[in-house]
Amino acid sequence: MELTREIYWNVGHGLTTLVPMYLLTLVAVALLLHGFRARVKVYRQGKTAPRTDQLAVRIPAMLKSVLLQSKVARVKGPGLAHALFFGGFFLLFLGTCLIVVQADFTDLLFGVKFLKGNFYLLFSVVLDIAGLVAIVMLGGLLVRRYLVRPAGLESGADDLIMHGLLFAILISGFVIEGARMAVTELGTSLALWSPVGLVFAKGLAGYSEETLRAVHSYTWWCHLLLVMAFIVAIPFTKFKHIFTTSLNYLFADIGPTGKLVSLDLEDEEAESFGASTITDLTWKDIFDTDACTQCKRCQDRCPAHNTEKPLSPMKLINQLGDVAFNNPEAGLVEACDKDAIWSCTTCRACQDICPAAIEHVNKIVDMRRNLVLMEGEFPGEEVMVAMENTEVNGNPLGIGYASRGDWAENLGIKTLAEDPQVDILYFVGCYASFDKRNIKIATAFIKLCQAAGIKVGILGKEEKCCGEPMRKMGNEYLYQTLAAENVELIKGYGVKQIVTSCPHCFNTLNKDYRDFDFDIPVTNYSVYLQQLLQSGQLKLNSAEFACTYHDSCYLGRHNDLYDAPRQLLEAAGGQIVEMNKSRSEAFCCSAGGGRIMAEESLGSRINVKRVEMAVATGAPTLVSNCPFCLTMFEDGVKGADVEDRLSARDISEILVERL
Amino acid sequence: MKALLVAENRDGKLLASSYELVAFAQQLGADSSMFLVGSENALPQYDGTLYLADSGKHSEYNPAVHKQLLLEVIAKEQPDLVVFSHSSYGWDLAPRVAVALGAAQVSEVVEVVEGAMVVPTCNAKLRRQINVKTGKTVVSLQSGAFCLSEDPSGTPIVEKIDTETASQIVFEGYEEAEAGGVDLSKAEVIVSAGRGIGKPENMPIIEGLAKALKGEYGASRPVVDSDWVDHGRQVGSTGQTVSPKLYVACGISGAIQHLAGMKKSEYIVAINTDKDAPIGEIADVLIVADLKEFVPLMTAKLLA
Amino acid sequence: MKILVCIKQVPDMESKFKIADDATWYDSKDLAWRMNEYDEYAVEQAVQLRTQVEDSDLTVLCIGPQRVQETMKKALAMGCDRGVHIDDDNSFQKDPFEIASMIAEFAKDKSFDMIFTGMQSQDRGSAQVGLMAGEMLSLPSISTVVDFTFEDGKVTAKRELEGGIKAKVSCSAPALVTCQLGLNTPRYPTLPNIMKAKRKELLTLSVADLLKVDSTQETTKIYFPEKRSGGLVLEGAAGDLADKLIQILKENTGVLA
Repeated sequence: MELTREIYWNVGHGLTTLVPMYLLTLVAVALLLHGFRARVKVYRQGKTAPRTDQLAVRIPAMLKSVLLQSKVARVKGPGLAHALFFGGFFLLFLGTCLIVVQADFTDLLFGVKFLKGNFYLLFSVVLDIAGLVAIVMLGGLLVRRYLVRPAGLESGADDLIMHGLLFAILISGFVIEGARMAVTELGTSLALWSPVGLVFAKGLAGYSEETLRAVHSYTWWCHLLLVMAFIVAIPFTKFKHIFTTSLNYLFADIGPTGKLVSLDLEDEEAESFGASTITDLTWKDIFDTDACTQCKRCQDRCPAHNTEKPLSPMKLINQLGDVAFNNPEAGLVEACDKDAIWSCTTCRACQDICPAAIEHVNKIVDMRRNLVLMEGEFPGEEVMVAMENTEVNGNPLGIGYASRGDWAENLGIKTLAEDPQVDILYFVGCYASFDKRNIKIATAFIKLCQAAGIKVGILGKEEKCCGEPMRKMGNEYLYQTLAAENVELIKGYGVKQIVTSCPHCFNTLNKDYRDFDFDIPVTNYSVYLQQLLQSGQLKLNSAEFACTYHDSCYLGRHNDLYDAPRQLLEAAGGQIVEMNKSRSEAFCCSAGGGRIMAEESLGSRINVKRVEMAVATGAPTLVSNCPFCLTMFEDGVKGADVEDRLSARDISEILVERL
Repeated sequence: MKALLVAENRDGKLLASSYELVAFAQQLGADSSMFLVGSENALPQYDGTLYLADSGKHSEYNPAVHKQLLLEVIAKEQPDLVVFSHSSYGWDLAPRVAVALGAAQVSEVVEVVEGAMVVPTCNAKLRRQINVKTGKTVVSLQSGAFCLSEDPSGTPIVEKIDTETASQIVFEGYEEAEAGGVDLSKAEVIVSAGRGIGKPENMPIIEGLAKALKGEYGASRPVVDSDWVDHGRQVGSTGQTVSPKLYVACGISGAIQHLAGMKKSEYIVAINTDKDAPIGEIADVLIVADLKEFVPLMTAKLLA
Repeated sequence: MKILVCIKQVPDMESKFKIADDATWYDSKDLAWRMNEYDEYAVEQAVQLRTQVEDSDLTVLCIGPQRVQETMKKALAMGCDRGVHIDDDNSFQKDPFEIASMIAEFAKDKSFDMIFTGMQSQDRGSAQVGLMAGEMLSLPSISTVVDFTFEDGKVTAKRELEGGIKAKVSCSAPALVTCQLGLNTPRYPTLPNIMKAKRKELLTLSVADLLKVDSTQETTKIYFPEKRSGGLVLEGAAGDLADKLIQILKENTGVLA
């Protein structure tokens, strides 16, 4: 017996099958294209964005994300189920393609058959198992969605249509196979190579061949129609994510991570800055809204959402989509709600986890830019005061600029104005310069460098705020003013290497300042100290202690620096008890996105929530790497009433005690 | 030296600050007379001539009329100094009189050193000594800077004055302070609670001290976060920025966010068990004590 | 309607103050400069009135050295139409009477319908200039205003008195008001307005043209007050501490008077 099967068995391979089949396919694909063409028109309302460059990077990244479902599968459970379902369904799709290729092209035109022999056996068993996996995973997802629904997962008509169609297609496929096998394969060894089909065949075995043939033919045409319906439904339902999400991997931001696009403020033609209507966003921003599958992963991780603030990154993306598709004249800020826009801490938890590579943060900043630059609006008067303080004194705290370097008196270091010949420039930042608690970070860092024989210089009163909080709050003008001044100053001293202790300064100098023709290397202190430790220049007297470690958003998700600080802590004798949410899943301290300048008047306190997570580890010390985090945790420890159980410290303070 | 003291009346009552003018004249050894737009029913305890105009007729705020009345008395008395309180009444009337007299005006005098008047400058960070070049001088005194060493006494010789000057400004009445709403930025005294108060039940002792000092109470962010105090009373960079004459920080360690909101206060007292708390760096006085013991005692002594 | 708003550039009060060599003023080195806070309220109110009354023209006037033009730019960005800079490197030595007379000299033939000033400056704190200028121009003037409305040529304002009490007064324009903190919320200039401000007319006048009076007073000495009890740390029994503190408050603050 030949190891193959007759394609188009029972339904026939004549024109009466092929003509309606291909006509239907043609119509379905035409409707699909028509559906997407309408969507493309909507995307094109947006401004241009360079997201089709560097294809050599983009295409492999896309293939990895699509075929390996690498982003989707990051969340165990539903993510894995989706990945397996996708795998199964994709194999079935490939199998169907092979059948079409053989039956309607190679065999028809050249008499070449390849679905035979061992390859056929492999083909048969793989597709059978793929179908089974798809059915089981789909069933699991269905149970999750409709029976044990997790909070926040919303289901609509789309979800019902999708689950129904997919189930019907998969089951009908097996019914067709079962009916065919009941007639042609039952009892042969070949049948064993279609194990799932065999089960269906056995179930149908009692019926007459005539009935089986009728069932087969009827189900075959139904299956065909279901598949056509599926194709047509793609652009009109959430099925569209098959294309939009996949393409979004191609158009994804390929870095540097979280770098905002600098506005051209000198543009005489510009009538408006930031985003107030849909045409102020880029086509990619609009495309993002179409790539969202409402999986709510972003919402689950959003620190604002988790503390009862009116922001859900998912909802915001959907609201923008609604404006783009249904109400393009509407104002974006009104559609998304001002309070939601101001609530974001730009922690990137949403963007990092998004399986569709959607960029939430830049849209929020764009809307903030419009509010600040065009309306002079802020989340509160205290933020406006901080902006004005920064304009006058170069720091949001409003402390006289001339005392910026006072903390360094008696530490044996000089400003670059006094002596520009240094190994590194330490860019101190506002909090470590002015805040008594955070000055301990700056002091510790200097002592560590001195112990390692590094000559450090600072800018003293010439240093200004890096501008990060202002920029994230939407004040691009103030940011660019500060950046230009800092860049000119630093370049003037011929600095070779910059080290920062504030991750916000680090991110800004190392990424954002690059738009200002600034190419001096910038390192974060944790990495720098870790290098000194490795090279043997820095020696620590390890002494055991237990702690938990908080990944600041701007060192972690924004810069992927998770290990250097942990290695430092371990070298110091630290036994790190990780919090549930750590590394790329770390929960924000509340101070990012310029929120350090703002009152947290909505919902509960983010910092208190994070402190409670730290307390839950049982470790007596919460170590962080960021002045903003430290400030928030000092408050949070009091707010959570755990002063007797937890103390907040910076990594440098731990290290300097072990010199 | 002759001084004309411009006493003040509000809502039918003589303001106690009027006696500070007497203390100033005494300190300079000046002969004085007094001017008041007020009422016969609320005369100052003062030995000397009192030029009294009827506030019922001339209203309690009418700069043009009050200026005219005052200029007539000045013409008669020919004083070297015309002395006001640096109050909403004094600082409004004094410059008008100074312009009319072509005289120098020295505002908010806090002391007199070797005959030179001293005024605060730059939020009281600095002080200036003033040399006056004109024959007559208009002066306004900082509230509380000059005090009588004993209780005021005496009976004035009342000389009634009147004028028929027309005024371009119409006084339409007083508006009471809004109840409920707290604008800490205007408070002269603020007593603030930090986490050092321990528990919400201790808030009344803070409020008690605020009341005894005729001020308002406020709180640091952690206290507000814990819902021990209403959000509207938060002092700090994310709350209200305040600059009272006296700020009493009770159990506040002095996080930067808090300091940013209150460091402009003219005088800062901190009460803390921790001698090294950062608040100590900007406090004029740091009382190292348990506030739960100290504050009620202080309140009791103030009210005694 | 023609409106004038007078502003002053002052050092930021958070600056590290130092005494200048001749000890009659503070050293201008290491100071950050900004618009006098009270004047920000004046500018805001003037801009609001300019918007309220059609065909208005709003002039901002400032006396001081070249650097005050930076502060004037902010007023222009907030919505003033034109700037007048009275260029004076020695403005810090001018007393309130002289400053007021320069403003009056400038304004006397310009028929301004409304003049706004701050209630006082943050550095000198004299609270004289606005009212003096009003007197010199024979305008009705209202000081310490925390509420302002303008309708059909009539100004209605609330003056802030002590203890939160307000006095409601009214007069007809032309008039002058001096603005107290809390009168409004000064706006944050928008980017397009910042850009426009760079191109707005800024006229420079010399002191000699406007100063027609002699000074009435001079600062002979400026100094830091003795740190009366600065950084004083008191420890001991609570009762004694309370007595000591009451004594200190009596000596150093006016609040127990």
